[in-house]
Amino acid sequence: MKEYEGRVRLVFKDFPLPSHALARPAHEAARCAGALGRYWPYHDRLFAAQPAFERDALVRYAVEVGLPREAFARCLDERRFVSAVEADVAQARDLGIRSTPTFIINGRPLVGAHPVETFRTVIDEALRAAR
Amino acid sequence: MLRVVNGARVTSARRSRVYTISTAWLLALATLLAGGADARPASELGADPTMIKGAPAAPVTIVEFSDYQ
Repeated sequence: MKEYEGRVRLVFKDFPLPSHALARPAHEAARCAGALGRYWPYHDRLFAAQPAFERDALVRYAVEVGLPREAFARCLDERRFVSAVEADVAQARDLGIRSTPTFIINGRPLVGAHPVETFRTVIDEALRAAR
Repeated sequence: MLRVVNGARVTSARRSRVYTISTAWLLALATLLAGGADARPASELGADPTMIKGAPAAPVTIVEFSDYQ
């Protein structure tokens, strides 16, 4: 992102796969972190910690990134963002997305984990087309 | 592209079948994104502002559908 500062924005969408039992609470937890002002640090913490997403671990990561334990735990336990996560999942299904990660770069789908060079190529093409 | 999508070596017979499935899927997805069911840019499809990083006026938007696990 730094390389393309001012030229690229990233939108993260939740798409927990049904086969990953602990993924959905992790996505809901990230939404709680966002509501409390620390979405991206928590997001990065989750990727570093995968797949250790038991409830107590999710709360511990929140504290590690500077979130208030009680407020975060309440949000998580009340499942405040269950419908928001489900809305992203439904949107993914509507778009025909079946696997993760799936990227859409100015409308162009890129499926799977790719080398950074592939992203540079696609982004550079999108930048040229946007001129 | 197909090797990237599937990320693994496959036999020639299997590759042919995977090619057909993947191409159909990508065409369907591209059609949707090009203005089928919803012509809005993907960046505007109900994204939570806290889950967006980067300049709002950036000419390129990457939408990532991902799974933490």
